[in-house]
Amino acid sequence: MYRLSFLILLSGAVSLTALAQGNYEIQVYGSDTVSPGSTMLELHSNFTANGQRAVVDGVYPTFHQEHETIEITQGITDWSEVGFYIFTSEQNGHGVQWVGDHIRPRVRVPDSWHWPIGFSISTEIGYQRPVYSPDTWTWEIRPIIDKAIDRWYFAVNPALERTWHGPDARHGLGFAPAAKVSYDFTQKISGGIEYYGDYGRFFAWDPLHDQQQQFFVVTDLNVSPQWEFNFGVGLGATASTDRLIVKGIIGRRFSWRRQREID
Amino acid sequence: MLTRRSLLQAAIGAVTNVASAYTPVDQSSDYTIDIAPHSLEVAPHNFVQTVAYNGQVPGPVIRLQVDKPVTLDVRNQSGSEEIVHWHGLLLPSEVDGAMEEGTPMIGPGASARLKFVPAPAGFRWYHTHTFAGKDLKKAQYTGQHGFLLIEPRDNPGRYDAEMFLALHDWKGQLLGGSDGSLMVSYDVSTINGRVLGFGEPLRVKQGQRVLFHILNSSATDVHWVSLAGHTFEVIALDGNPVAVTRQANMLRLVPAERVCAIVEMKNPGVWVLGEVRKHIRAAGMGIVVEYAGQTAKPTWIQPQTLDWSYEAFGAGPLPPTDAIDVPLVFRSKFTGHGDVDHWMINGKSFPHTDTVKLRSGARYRLLFRNESLNDHPVHLHRHLFAMAECGVLKDTVLVPSKQELAVEFTANNPGKTLFHCHQQDHMDAGFMMLFDYV
Repeated sequence: MYRLSFLILLSGAVSLTALAQGNYEIQVYGSDTVSPGSTMLELHSNFTANGQRAVVDGVYPTFHQEHETIEITQGITDWSEVGFYIFTSEQNGHGVQWVGDHIRPRVRVPDSWHWPIGFSISTEIGYQRPVYSPDTWTWEIRPIIDKAIDRWYFAVNPALERTWHGPDARHGLGFAPAAKVSYDFTQKISGGIEYYGDYGRFFAWDPLHDQQQQFFVVTDLNVSPQWEFNFGVGLGATASTDRLIVKGIIGRRFSWRRQREID
Repeated sequence: MLTRRSLLQAAIGAVTNVASAYTPVDQSSDYTIDIAPHSLEVAPHNFVQTVAYNGQVPGPVIRLQVDKPVTLDVRNQSGSEEIVHWHGLLLPSEVDGAMEEGTPMIGPGASARLKFVPAPAGFRWYHTHTFAGKDLKKAQYTGQHGFLLIEPRDNPGRYDAEMFLALHDWKGQLLGGSDGSLMVSYDVSTINGRVLGFGEPLRVKQGQRVLFHILNSSATDVHWVSLAGHTFEVIALDGNPVAVTRQANMLRLVPAERVCAIVEMKNPGVWVLGEVRKHIRAAGMGIVVEYAGQTAKPTWIQPQTLDWSYEAFGAGPLPPTDAIDVPLVFRSKFTGHGDVDHWMINGKSFPHTDTVKLRSGARYRLLFRNESLNDHPVHLHRHLFAMAECGVLKDTVLVPSKQELAVEFTANNPGKTLFHCHQQDHMDAGFMMLFDYV
């Protein structure tokens, strides 16, 4: 997902002026939720190797920014969870900075509905500091659809975004889809492509030059049900997109319930 | 005039609490089994569209006399090819009920007449033996299963009533499993086709000794059952008398296994006989046991651990013999997180597995080594085998993950003999092989 980055991008791309970017959590979501009584702790590490070098409208440049995002997701029921994000940024001259926080409740279609695809929907509300995004309060709703077929995995996240406070508050809904296709090379190693886009206002797309279009080559390591590893290298395809980003996600699942054999 | 058939019908009506009587429709056969679509109400207003025998789930209790020839008609009124396997009987390949052995399939709308001599005595069962693949509404996922009791010549009958119980799972779907591949998961679990609290209770009287014939007819899942406030005296496994009868707080049945156990009804009340594991009992697997004159809310007593071992019922390790070793190694083959695993015996999946040629009259020791992450309830057709560690006689046995287990049998029933994992999803994905001898 590209959540905060898209939100921040709205401040630039939607206003068609600024080019601020913030790649804080780059992940295409799967439809599954965290089990009740379990917590998923993830660290998202994203380094912008080649990005915006200038301060634009008071927003720090992304070039050589290192973003560390802590994501804590608590399973509530078999079909719901709540996630919480702490966004940070580290950059020469600025040190380590707190960027903002988001909260993200999510529900999914229960297994008992027997849908042929996985489906969940999340909504995310959050704040980010003005030096990292002129739009400080934002909201997102994200349908999540996925399906595994043999060795192939497909996921689509057609997210809609809205700024509540900031220059883009008057622009309405933005469209920021993400998608993933991957292939299981082995039981433990998968590889594929992730796509992150931001088209600007819904039904009033920005010119391609101002859109965000980014493709990542990624690998997922399925070494244990308790662990999650995702690494990738992303290339920006438009002038408004950071040119080169390296990302990594390390996740660990903790279960707080003692699972007994009679349960 | 009393005939064997009328006697059997009377016997069925008298002693079976939960299965309806069987009605032969053809004067020239002893029994007829109609295979047809059936709408099963598993819970109030909750129906499963399935295929069943004679319009009921489980199918009718069939009682046969050991060594007395029987004629059965099987009429297939379903839309698919069918076949009926007589699980636990020592039959010729032509009628055993597995197309891999050479038993003919019965086409949609067609009928078949089967003639065989039932043996050995004991609690057996009959069920479909077809391919389901990823269609979890076919084959063993359906209601095509029934009880088959082969009466011995002399039945001491130290019990007052018999009750037949079938454990089954319904409304399956393929979901991601702990091993990273798709596995079958169910919405509904039943005893005799109904969830706990739906349908008639088992009615007992204080002081009765009730013989339970319990079958796990689930396509894929192991089940643990206990009867609150009571213990089971296990007298037979897979229909074969055990060397050591023991009291057990709970029973474990892997798919296709049967347990015969006597319960002495000496704790008046209204109790639950159900799955020990909470989530499966919550899915419906349970039945109320009601003493005469008792009216109370059914009581469940939750066991805190799972407890079962075959060894407790055996006479001890088999004596050394000159049995010929046949090593069989079970492995899985990953085919994607969006697929079920494929299965191999000695590195090959059926139909590419090697057929092992046997010598009639020889003794064989099957050395199972399960290198996979899944347990496997393996079944040998047309023969009984003895567990090497304890001597327990069975036709289906669980080989736990990452463990070894040995069984011995004598090649005394020539013909093609199927060996397979009784989990439908495993056998469909290659976990089968044949033995053959003349």
